[in-house]
Amino acid sequence: MKVDRRSFLSFILGGAAGTALSPLPWKLTDDFSIWSQNWPWTPVPQKGEISYVNSACTLCPGGCGISVKKVDERVIKIEGLKGHPVNDGGLCILGLAGAQLLYGATRIQTPIKKVNGRWQKLSWKEAITELAARLKELRAKGSAHTVACVAGSDRGTVPELFSRFLAVYGSPNFFRTPSIWDSYELALYLTQGTRSMAGFDIENADFILSFGSGLIEGWGSPGYMFRAKGLLRKNGGRMDQIESRLSKTAAKSDHWIAINPGTEGALALGLAYVIIKEGLYNQNFIDQYTTGFSDRKKRVIDGFPPEIVSKMTGISTGTIVALAKDFARARKPLAICGQGQGHLPGNLQEFLAVHTLNALVGNINQPGGVWAVPEPDYIDWPELEMDGVASEGLQQTRIDGAGSYRYPNARYLLHRLPQVVNASDESPVQVLFVVDANPVYSLQDTASVKKAFEKIPFVVSFSSYMNETTALADLVLPNHVFLERYEDVPVAYGFPKPIIGLARPAIEPLYNTRYVGDVVIQLAKELGHAIGAAFPWADYATCLEETLSDNWDTLVEEGYVVDAEFNGTDLADAFETDSAKFEFNNNEIRTLAGYNPVKAEGDEASYPLLLVPYDTMRLASGYVGSPPFLVKALEDTILTGSQVLVEVNPATAKQLGLSEGKTANLTTPKGAARVKVHLSNGIMPGVVAIPRGLGHTAYDKFLAGKGVNYNQLSSPVEDPASGHDAAWGIRAKLSRA
Amino acid sequence: MENAKKFGMVIDLDKCTGCGACMVACMAENNIPFRADNTDKMLSISWMHVYKLNNRKLFPDYEECYLPRPCQHCEGHGGHSPCVSVCPATATDYDMDTGIVSQIYPRCFGCRYCMAACPYHVRQFNWWDPLWPDGMEKMLNPSVSVRMRGVVEKCSFCIQRYQQAKDRAYMEGRREIAEDEYQTACTQACPAGAIVFGDLNNPEHAVHQLAQPDPARHGHSKNPRAFRLLERLGTNTKIYYLSSREWVRKAGDNYLEGEFKSKAHS
Amino acid sequence: MSTDEKVNEVSADTGDQDPITPSSGNDATSQADEDGATGPIILFFIVGLIASLIVGWVIFPQLLYSQKRQPVGFNHALHNEEVDNECESCHFFREDGTYSGVPKLAQCIECHEEVQGEDPEEAKFVNEYVAKGREVPWLIYSRQPDNVFFSHVAHVKTAQMECVTCHGNIGESESLKVYEENRISGYSRDIWGKNIAGFKRNSWDRMKMDDCSECHVKENINQNSVQTLKGGCFVCHK
Repeated sequence: MKVDRRSFLSFILGGAAGTALSPLPWKLTDDFSIWSQNWPWTPVPQKGEISYVNSACTLCPGGCGISVKKVDERVIKIEGLKGHPVNDGGLCILGLAGAQLLYGATRIQTPIKKVNGRWQKLSWKEAITELAARLKELRAKGSAHTVACVAGSDRGTVPELFSRFLAVYGSPNFFRTPSIWDSYELALYLTQGTRSMAGFDIENADFILSFGSGLIEGWGSPGYMFRAKGLLRKNGGRMDQIESRLSKTAAKSDHWIAINPGTEGALALGLAYVIIKEGLYNQNFIDQYTTGFSDRKKRVIDGFPPEIVSKMTGISTGTIVALAKDFARARKPLAICGQGQGHLPGNLQEFLAVHTLNALVGNINQPGGVWAVPEPDYIDWPELEMDGVASEGLQQTRIDGAGSYRYPNARYLLHRLPQVVNASDESPVQVLFVVDANPVYSLQDTASVKKAFEKIPFVVSFSSYMNETTALADLVLPNHVFLERYEDVPVAYGFPKPIIGLARPAIEPLYNTRYVGDVVIQLAKELGHAIGAAFPWADYATCLEETLSDNWDTLVEEGYVVDAEFNGTDLADAFETDSAKFEFNNNEIRTLAGYNPVKAEGDEASYPLLLVPYDTMRLASGYVGSPPFLVKALEDTILTGSQVLVEVNPATAKQLGLSEGKTANLTTPKGAARVKVHLSNGIMPGVVAIPRGLGHTAYDKFLAGKGVNYNQLSSPVEDPASGHDAAWGIRAKLSRA
Repeated sequence: MENAKKFGMVIDLDKCTGCGACMVACMAENNIPFRADNTDKMLSISWMHVYKLNNRKLFPDYEECYLPRPCQHCEGHGGHSPCVSVCPATATDYDMDTGIVSQIYPRCFGCRYCMAACPYHVRQFNWWDPLWPDGMEKMLNPSVSVRMRGVVEKCSFCIQRYQQAKDRAYMEGRREIAEDEYQTACTQACPAGAIVFGDLNNPEHAVHQLAQPDPARHGHSKNPRAFRLLERLGTNTKIYYLSSREWVRKAGDNYLEGEFKSKAHS
Repeated sequence: MSTDEKVNEVSADTGDQDPITPSSGNDATSQADEDGATGPIILFFIVGLIASLIVGWVIFPQLLYSQKRQPVGFNHALHNEEVDNECESCHFFREDGTYSGVPKLAQCIECHEEVQGEDPEEAKFVNEYVAKGREVPWLIYSRQPDNVFFSHVAHVKTAQMECVTCHGNIGESESLKVYEENRISGYSRDIWGKNIAGFKRNSWDRMKMDDCSECHVKENINQNSVQTLKGGCFVCHK
């Protein structure tokens, strides 16, 4: 039998018929479609038991309560903690993206040290022994005071452990990163005599007058401010924003009043003029609880009539007068200041002027007013027993000059550290600890900061991430990230009540990291003698629990403790000045009571524009880098590709021959950068605005290399009144590329 | 159908601060992928997107308003929302029991008709495999399925939260869930309390009281402060926006300059 | 080439001779020898048919599924006698209404901290998994794709359905059957059902979407979808 074409076809036909009658094609179709719908490389998250761990967020000093959502042993999300006095369920964008910081790719997984420019792993024991040996040697040489520490805060157990360590070791050089709270503390201290933190009862006020504060852009405790701003609105309150750019805060205010940047303090005094002149101030408060009013009055009346203020600020006299009247006639008017999120201390005179406004209307320590919130006092550790070296070291003046004759009121002047280091032949800092801070990124004039850090012989970073500062470090002792550790949260910036929160681990540490507190304690023990004796605790956990003993149970259960007894409303008792009153004037204020705008660096002829930084909630610009979700949520009017867009008024752009989306060269006396132009009518002509939080050289591909770091283009300008960095911008020019 | 729900949202634009918390809460809740460069917003997936509107005036009369835009869950007439009508794969559907427009990813074959049909840009296509940096896949929420390359995705009103709320209710022997038991991730996260979510059919729910939908006019709001996006298209959406500013309300229905007073869909 | 032409010619001739019944007639056999007509053609057809039927019904299913053994043996019947609350003793609901599924090691350890019986499988379980703190990588017969949302509580608590309805009498089994994994889709054979044609005799024989749908249609559950006029997609999908 020959197999010819016909029989072959017949066979095929039979085969086809048989196949059609078998389940094969139908089953294969089904299976392949299922396969194609479930690519093996598409991840399938494992199901499990859902649980929540209540904790506190430590990504910023906002003190928000968080609820960490877990599936079995995985953290999948962070949500706001309902019922928490600060944020009551709401949470900022950074907090919500926080789990990405736990699983982020730039986490440092084990102690590392730099050997010939390359990172080498080492064990914790080796790392601590090595560091201790170096510290012993310095101390033996009588150079104890050359050990310094830069911390993100000076409150709470971790910063206190460091400052205690430095003290007993023999160095006065503990630094806190700068912020507006430096100036607020100082303003409260000078007028009210208290070492306290400013708190703002926004929700109970009925008129918020903000001098450029990004109330809903990360100023103070974001969680509280968002909520309070919502409540202010709900209660029918008004908010006016004074700022050169239509920030989101300005856009969400009842009135946006554009002002020449850097002249906010003059406006405050201009308003005070009207209030005093028209007799709109709170006579009762002034009479009973203040001194120095007549002195202050004279200065304001002499120096700040609306015509002069109008010329300085660019705001019409009519607006000034109307604003002053509205403010003073409100039931609960509250003036606030500090630019944007408050990364720079700013001009002390401005803070005094704004604080004066609150005093004029008598809205101090009152519902809806500004509060002097006492510093937390739960840290009550045994007195230090100093040895000779320590006492000698502590006699040395601080490297930054804070507290010296020149800067009597400043506590920390971190921006001066790079200047001093760069100006010396041998670095006055031999060992520098950096904890919860990223100064190489966040201090102004990046080039000079970098130079200083390279000059410091030994930098120890406690960062969990490979950020800009850590990249320049010599030894990295990585901390657990915030979801892996216990930590006290001593404040919620700007919150009007004393509150302590407790962050606690939601998950076992993923890597070979260690509590910073443990490292300090172990280091002290390694150094022994008086230093070891100053740290009587077995470990950080014990230290924390003992320190918080009275509140520990409540903290573990609730996550926070609000001081229920706190009540500062009795004004007869509220002020700790010599006069026991609010002092409009005293010997120290006398030298500060005027207003001298801090000039932006650069000459007007070469740099016709003003470059000002702005803050957005969608970029983290503190010591934490933005996780991928934040960068993803960023507007395309801020970042396109890897280029940042700067905001320019269309009129200005026209003069410069620039149009929307055009690439331009942005030059300042400190540096140059290539940017794109975004035209906006929400910015004053002559001003260029650039966002903070971009231009990272460290971190992963989701953040690094995108945009420009404003600090590279700017430099600090010292406020002669306080010594703090008061630069609000820098002169710049913009030209077509 | 007697107990049919109609889940909807009221977003108070006077309260919204444009902070973007809703966007990130949504990303974290719904396993939204991200890439190294997300700046091309036409290619970047975001179920919830905050738009910036302005009054088109010059400095200093310029004003801005922020508008969060989830899927509008159009009901159209009888559930024939623009996207549902065009889907050849029955991958998207309108459920009369909940009023939610569903999207079933494995069913979608990526023709993107729905994207063309949607007037609100709420639908996005997965041009790339969803990949997470090493270790970050641990953050994925098992209650939401991860979408594969080649399919369209969009906001589901956090349907997994409805499913979970029902599970809890069943466990406790209840058939109905309370208003606060089912809230979307964006609603929960909004620090300004600008988003309210609930059953538009239930007069007890805050959304009903704020939106005041008029059944005779396809859900057109009786609240003078309220508007819906492109209402005159007849999409009959379930996201109501509130604003006390007239220009915002007008912009929401895409009023062209010089156009006559709109005849809102009635 | 030449063969083809020849065949064409011949068939054309045949056609001319008898256009109505081309393959009939006395000379059929001789013709068939020449051009391969009727008988062998049918034969080839039948051979093809039978071969493909065998491939489709017998060989294909064997090729399609790989046979996998569970990492440890398990006797459901034995455990069922020991517990108070039937299936839910181990396959329990959590307070939030979610279903725990296959027990985790932590649950098993409650009884099996130490080897209790003589069964070598138990010894293996204790030594390999309990002692080492490793979860058992059970192969799950009822595993569904990720986009399926199945609420056990809705079916078991609210609708009062028996576990058997979908899972069969697994609770009475004394050993775990071989896990047959579909080489293409990666899911268990139990989803499509043992019968390769997809026929089912019992309600638990298949676990495809149609099987869910069948019951939902019958019971008129959530049949309010606009496109399908059946159940809304988000009832069972996520």
